[in-house]
Amino acid sequence: MTISHVLIENHALQESLYHYRIEPGLDLYILPRPGYRKKYAIFSTRFGSVDNNFRVEPEQDYTELPDGVAHFLEHKLFEDEQGNVFNRFAELGASANAYTSFTQTSYLFSATTNFEENLGELLRFVQEPYFTRETVAKEQGIIGQEIKMYEDHPHWRIFFNLLESLYRVHPVRNDIAGTIESIAEITPELLYRCYNTFYHPSNMAVFIVGDLEPQAVAEQVAEDINGRCYGQIGQIVRNYPDEPDHIMKEKVVQELVVSEPIFYLGFKDIVAKRLSGNELMRRDILMELVLDIIFGTSEQLYNDLYRENLIDEGFGFEYTAESNYAYTMIGGETRNPDLLYEQVMKAIVDTRRNGITEEQFERHRRKILGGYIRRFNSLEFIANNFLAYRFRESDMFELPRILQEVSREEALALAVENLDLSRHAVSIIMPSSNG
Amino acid sequence: MSEDYSIHHLPNGIRLLFLRTGKFKTISMGFFIHCNLDQDTAALNALLPSVLEQGCRLYPDNLTLQRKLENLFGAELSTDIIKSGERHIVAFGLEAAHGRFTGQNGRLLTESMAILGNVIKDPLLEDGTFRQNYVKQEKNQLIKDIKAILNDKSAYAVEKCLSAMCADEKYGVYKLGRIEDYGKISAADLFKHYRDLMTTKPVDLYVIGDLDEKEVLRAANEAFSYSRSEKTCSLLPAEVDHPVNEVRVMEEMMTVNQAKMVLGFRTYIPYNDKLFCALQVYSGVLGGFPHSKLFMKVREEAGLAYYIHTRLERHKGLMLISAGINAADRQSVHGIIEAQMNEMLNGKITDAELENTKRGLVNQLLSRQDNPSQLIAFHLDGVVGGMDYSFDQLIRGIEATDIDQIKAVAKRITLDTAYLLKPREGEVVRDDN
Repeated sequence: MTISHVLIENHALQESLYHYRIEPGLDLYILPRPGYRKKYAIFSTRFGSVDNNFRVEPEQDYTELPDGVAHFLEHKLFEDEQGNVFNRFAELGASANAYTSFTQTSYLFSATTNFEENLGELLRFVQEPYFTRETVAKEQGIIGQEIKMYEDHPHWRIFFNLLESLYRVHPVRNDIAGTIESIAEITPELLYRCYNTFYHPSNMAVFIVGDLEPQAVAEQVAEDINGRCYGQIGQIVRNYPDEPDHIMKEKVVQELVVSEPIFYLGFKDIVAKRLSGNELMRRDILMELVLDIIFGTSEQLYNDLYRENLIDEGFGFEYTAESNYAYTMIGGETRNPDLLYEQVMKAIVDTRRNGITEEQFERHRRKILGGYIRRFNSLEFIANNFLAYRFRESDMFELPRILQEVSREEALALAVENLDLSRHAVSIIMPSSNG
Repeated sequence: MSEDYSIHHLPNGIRLLFLRTGKFKTISMGFFIHCNLDQDTAALNALLPSVLEQGCRLYPDNLTLQRKLENLFGAELSTDIIKSGERHIVAFGLEAAHGRFTGQNGRLLTESMAILGNVIKDPLLEDGTFRQNYVKQEKNQLIKDIKAILNDKSAYAVEKCLSAMCADEKYGVYKLGRIEDYGKISAADLFKHYRDLMTTKPVDLYVIGDLDEKEVLRAANEAFSYSRSEKTCSLLPAEVDHPVNEVRVMEEMMTVNQAKMVLGFRTYIPYNDKLFCALQVYSGVLGGFPHSKLFMKVREEAGLAYYIHTRLERHKGLMLISAGINAADRQSVHGIIEAQMNEMLNGKITDAELENTKRGLVNQLLSRQDNPSQLIAFHLDGVVGGMDYSFDQLIRGIEATDIDQIKAVAKRITLDTAYLLKPREGEVVRDDN
C-alpha cells in the first residue's frame, strides 16, 4: 500500500513533518527524531469537557450531557472485555496514559521496544469501546475519589473559582471531571452515544514521534483504520451557550489549608471567539509577549514585587485561547492579595499608558523563541501541543514565523483591548482558620 | 554508547563531565557541589544558591541577569538544593537553545558558561560579604517555601512520615532545614559557608550538547578558574541499617476531603547492594506501575483509591507506599496491602507481573536517555551511591532478577512508620500548623 503524504519542512526548527490523510478523515502526523530511544504516539479526539451539547447532522435535536462525560469516557476506554488495557501496554514494555482537557481527550503511550505492537494496541483500544452497567458503576467510585482529591488542591480550586467568576454560562466554568452528582447520571448508553459521535476518525488525529520510518508507520495506521469499515457521519454541531461579555462576579474567596494566601487575577477575552486558525495563534503569541513584557522576571514589576515579598518564584501568567472561549490569568502565592492586586492592576494601566519599548519587545521575542526551541527536546511536548493547535485549526510549526512577524504596535493595541479592566475577576484562597 | 561521558579535571580539581550528542536542541550544563546532609548546615546550603542567583558582580541584580539571559534567546538559569540519601547537593544549571537554531554558533557556549561561572564564583559583595538585603529576602522566601509544603497534601504526608521515621538519623533533616535555623544566619555566616563549600567540597560540572570537546574544556577553564584547596572533604555513605523496634503509628487531622496514607518501610538495600536491581523489581511488582498489584487490587478491583503507588529512596534504602483514600477505608486498604506484601514474601508473583515490571523498568531507564537533565540525574545517582552503574548494567541486572531474589528482598523489608492524614469529623481540633 502506498499512501501519499505532504512533507512539511520547518527551517527554523530544522524538522520535517509528514502529514497523511487517512479515509474517512483521520489526520496522521509523523515526525522522525533520529537518536531518540523513546517513541511516542498520541491519539486524540476533539471531545472535551466543554462539548456538552451537540447534534450530528441531519439530527435536529441536541443531546445535552451531564458534566464530566468526556473524562469519564476516557477512564472507561481503558477497560475492555479482557480487562485492563494498561496490562497489555505493560506486556509490551510501554507506558500508557490518557488525559482530558476542556477541548480534547487524548490517549498515548511511550515505548522503547515493540513500537509496532504498541501502536496497534493504541489504535485498537481507542476504537473498541466496552461499557457495561457494572463497569460504569465502579468507575463512579474511582472518579469520585479523583474529584475529592482535586477539592483539596488549592491551585486547581482557585483556577476553577476564577473561571466560575469570569463565565456566566459557558461550560468552561465546570470542572472537567464533573461532580459526584453529575457523574451519577452517566449510563453506558450515554457513553456509546458520545463515543459514536466524537470517536469517528474524522473528528480525530494521531501524532507519532521518534526514531522511525514514516511510510511504514503510516501504512500500519491506514490498514488499521481501513479494516474497521467506518461509514461517513454527518457534521458534528456543537452548541455553546451565548456567553455574555460581562463577567459573573468580581471576586471569589475560598478557605483551604494553605500556608499563605493565593491570588489569581483573570481577564475574560471576548474577541478570540470570533477568531480561528493562524489569527487565533497570532493573538496567542502576542498575548504571551504582552504578559511577559508586563509580568516577566526581567521586568521592573516582577523584581519590585519579589523584593517586597509580595510574590515568589511561582508567580506566573498564562493566556488560553480556544475558538469559543479565552482568558488571561495572572497570579501566585502572596502574603497580601489586596496589595498584590493593586500593584498588578497599576502595572497594566501603566503599560497601556507608557507603551512598550523596541528593546523590550525584541528581548522578549528572543526569549520566547529560545524557550520554544528548548521545549522541542521533549517528544511529549511536540506531539501533545501540535494536536492541541491542530484542533484549533492552526499549525504549531508556524509559531516561529508568526513570532517574527508580529509588531510592538500590535502587542500594545492588544494589551489595551484584551486586558480590559471592566472584564476582570479575582480569585483568592485564604488559609483556613482551623488548619 | 550514547551515555558515555568524557571526563576531565580542571586545574583546580573540578571534575568536568562532557557528553557530546546531537540529538538535543539545547546545550545543558549542571554544576553540583556535594555535601553531607547535616542539620547544622542544611539551611545554609539551601540559602546559598538562592542568594547567589539574585546577582553577581557582573550582573548585580536579578533584573540585569535575566535581561542578559533573555538576549541569549531565553537561556534558563536555575538553582536547586537536592537531598539524595544523606547527601545535600547545591545545584546550579543553565540550559540554552543550541546556537544552530538562533544563529549564535560560536559565542553561545562561552557566553552561557561565563554567566553560570560568574553567578557561582564571582558573587556580588558589599563590605566583604554578601549583600545584606539579598540574604534577608531569600531567608524570607525559604521560610515561606518550608511552610508551603502544607499546600500539597500528598507531598506533605510523605514528608511527615519520613521525618518521623528518620528523626534520629541524618536523613531526617529536611532539605531546606528548619525555620528556626534561618533566624540566626547572617550575611557573614553565609559568606563564610560559601567560601568553605567552594574550596573544600567535591564539585562536578556536567555539559551535554552538540559541542566541540576542546571548546567545552576551554570555556570551562575560563569560567570556573578559582582557587580551591588541594584536598576535598570526604563524603559519607547513607546509614541504612537502622533497626525497627516497634511500628510507629501516626495520625494527623486536617480540614481536607481526602485522607492520605503513607507507609514507610526500611529495605536495608542501598544503591550499591547486590540486591539493588531486585529491590527495584520488588517495588515495581508491588506498586510502581498501573499493572502492579496494589493499583490492580486497591484501585481497579476494590475502587478504594484514586492513586496508590510505591516509591524508593534509592540511597537510604527506604520504600514508601502512598495512597489517597477515604479515611473510613483505611483498614480495608491496609489489609489489601498486607496481603499483597505477603504474596511478595511467598513469591506469589505471576510471570506477567514479573516480566511486565522488568519491561517497564527498562523502558523508564532507556527513556531517561532522551532528556539531558535525566542523563545528569542518573549519573549523579552513581556518584551519590558510590556505584557507577551504566544504563546497560542496570538493565541486565533488572532482566536477570528472579523470584528468589525478590523473596530475599521481601524478607528484608520492614514496616517502620504508618502515617495517616485524615479529614476532621465534627469537632474542630487544633493542630500544630
